[in-house]
Amino acid sequence: MFDRRVLFGIILIAFAAAFYKAANVPAVAAFQYRPAVVANVAAARFDSRFASSRFQTQVHAASLIELKDRSLRGFWFSGSREGAADVTINSALFDPVTGEWGAEQSIASRDSTQQGLHRYIGKVGNPVPMRAADGRLWLFYVTVSLGGWAGSSITAITSTDEGVTWSEPRRLISSPFMNISTLVKAAPFLYADGTIGLPVYHEFISKFAEILRLDQSGKVIDKQRLAAGGQGTLQPVVLVRSAQQALVLTRYSGNESPHRAKMMTTVDGGAHWSAAVQSPLSNPDAALAALVLADGRLLAVLNDQQSGRDNLALMLSADGGVSWRRVAVLENETATSVQDEAACLSRVAALVKQSDARAGVSAVSLERYVDSAKAKVRAGDACSFEFSYPYLMQASGGDFHLLYTWNRVFIKHLSFNQAWLEQQETQP
Amino acid sequence: MMALSDIVGLSGMAFALAVLIVPLVAARVTGRAVLLYIVVCMLLALSPFDGLSVAGYLRGFFGDLSVASLLLLVLALRRQVSGAEAEGRMGLLALIALAALAFYPFALGIGLFDPYRLGFGHFGFLAALLLVALLAWMRQQVLIALYIALAVLAWAIGWGESNNLWDYLLDPWVAFYALGALLKRSVRLLRGAPVSAR
Repeated sequence: MFDRRVLFGIILIAFAAAFYKAANVPAVAAFQYRPAVVANVAAARFDSRFASSRFQTQVHAASLIELKDRSLRGFWFSGSREGAADVTINSALFDPVTGEWGAEQSIASRDSTQQGLHRYIGKVGNPVPMRAADGRLWLFYVTVSLGGWAGSSITAITSTDEGVTWSEPRRLISSPFMNISTLVKAAPFLYADGTIGLPVYHEFISKFAEILRLDQSGKVIDKQRLAAGGQGTLQPVVLVRSAQQALVLTRYSGNESPHRAKMMTTVDGGAHWSAAVQSPLSNPDAALAALVLADGRLLAVLNDQQSGRDNLALMLSADGGVSWRRVAVLENETATSVQDEAACLSRVAALVKQSDARAGVSAVSLERYVDSAKAKVRAGDACSFEFSYPYLMQASGGDFHLLYTWNRVFIKHLSFNQAWLEQQETQP
Repeated sequence: MMALSDIVGLSGMAFALAVLIVPLVAARVTGRAVLLYIVVCMLLALSPFDGLSVAGYLRGFFGDLSVASLLLLVLALRRQVSGAEAEGRMGLLALIALAALAFYPFALGIGLFDPYRLGFGHFGFLAALLLVALLAWMRQQVLIALYIALAVLAWAIGWGESNNLWDYLLDPWVAFYALGALLKRSVRLLRGAPVSAR
C-alpha cells in the first residue's frame, strides 16, 4: 500500500517537528511573587452595596478585577436559573471614588460562544478574569455542550480595552475524553516567566483539583493534578506566598466527617505538591476565597459551618494555614427560624436595607428587591438564606473587595480597608 | 475568518458523518462514485442551518476526532470504494484498545499520576513513540507506523485545538470502537469460529 521509504520519511519529518516543538515548551518556572500593598489609612472603612443591577433574575459565580484606572470590573452569570440557555456572562464597573456600580451588561452568551467556537454550546457560567503579562484582560469561563457542569470545558476571551469589547472565544483543551469536565472558580496567578497558572477542577466520574499552565497566547502547556481522584477536592484557591512557596485550599465535597477544606503546599515553585490534608477550616461543600496579606498572613472568606450556606465569615491565619481564627461574621442567618411568610419577607427586607443603603430608600425600590428574592428564599415554604461563592481581592491602593452571591438573586459587594480589619482583629 | 482548528474539526466531523452514512444510503455503490456521495454528504453536513451546521452540532457533542479515528474512516472509505481490506487493521485496533485501557482510567482520575501530562511535549514519551513507530516500520506494520507518525505530525503542526499529543492519538469513540472490535474478535476466537488473519 505504501512505499516503505515514503513512510520512513514521514516518520522522520513527524518526529523532527515533534522534538523541535517539545524543546520549545517553557521550562518549569517559579511563581511571580508581588507582595500586597500596605496602606496607611488610619480610619476604618467598611461599605456594603449590591453590585448587580437586574431584578427577577438569578445570579451566581461572581469575580472581580482591578482596571488600569483603579476602577473595578465585576463579572457574574445571570439568567432565569443556573444552567439555563438564557444565562449570560454579565459585567459591570465599580467606581471606588463614588462608591457606585454601573449598570451590568451581557458580554458573552451561549449564542455568541457558539458562533465563535463553531460548535454547539448548551450553557455558559463561572467567569474568572485575569491580567496577562502583556497588559491584556482575559476572561475564562465555563461552557457546556452536553450534560451538566461535569461536561464543562473552559473558554477564553480577551480584551485590549479593559473589558468594553472582547475577542472571539477560544477553547482551552485540558482533558481527554471530549475535553469535558474542567471548570474554573478562583483567580489565576502568574509564574516568573509570564506563563499563567489557572486553578481548575475536574468533576466527571471523579473529583479532583488541578492547575493548568498556559502560555501567553492561552495555549495549555502543562497540567498538574493536585490530589488523586476520589478525594473530593474542588475549586482550588492558590495562595502564592513567595517565589517558591504556595498553599492551595480547596472546597471539599467528599464524605469525611467533619467536613473540612483540604490543603496542599509546595516549596519548589509548584514543581511538586504535598499530599492533600484536612485544613482546620469548615467546609459545607461550598466555594471559599482567600488571599495573602502584605505581612504574609492569610485572609479567607467562607461558609463557616458544616452544612448550609447561611453563614459567611472572615478568617485569618498567621501560621500559613495551620490554624485560623474568625475575625468577623459577614452574614449569619443560621439562627433565623421563621416559617411565616410575612415574617420571612420582613427579614429579607431588613437584610436588603442592611446590604445596600440605596436599596432601602424608597418603599417601591425595597419591594422590588424583596420580590426578586422571594422565589429563592421562600422556596419550599421555608425561609432559607444563601450567601455563597465568595471572591476576595485586594486592590492596588490596599482596599479589600469581596463579591458574593446573595440568595442567588443579587451579587453583593463588601469593601473594607486594612484599618477596619485591624479593628476586627482586636475585638473579642 | 475561521481558525485552522475549526476548519479541521468541522471537516473531520463532516467526513466521519459521510463515511458512516453513505454505506447506508448507497450500499451498492462502489468505485469512484462513492467519492461523489461522500463529497455531497460533507457539503450538506457543513452547510449552516439555523446558525450552526450539522457538523457543528456534532462537534459540540462528540468533540474533535483523533488521527486514529480519521485513519480508520479513510480505511473504511477505501474498502467501500475498492473493496480492498487494509492489512494490519486488527493490529492497529489492538494497539488503540491497549493504549486506551492504559490511558483513560488514569487520565480521568485514578491515582495521582496523570498520563495526559506526557502529551504536552515529554521527551521520554516522544522517544517511546518513535521506538514503536520504527519497530512497526521494520516489521512492515505500515498502518501502525503511519498512525503514530501522522498523529505526531498533526500535533507538531498544531492543526487541532488541542496542544496535547494524546488528543491526536486517541478519542473516546475510536477507543470504544477498538475495544468493541477486539471483544467481538475474542468472542469469535473462543467459539472456534473462523477469523481472518487481518
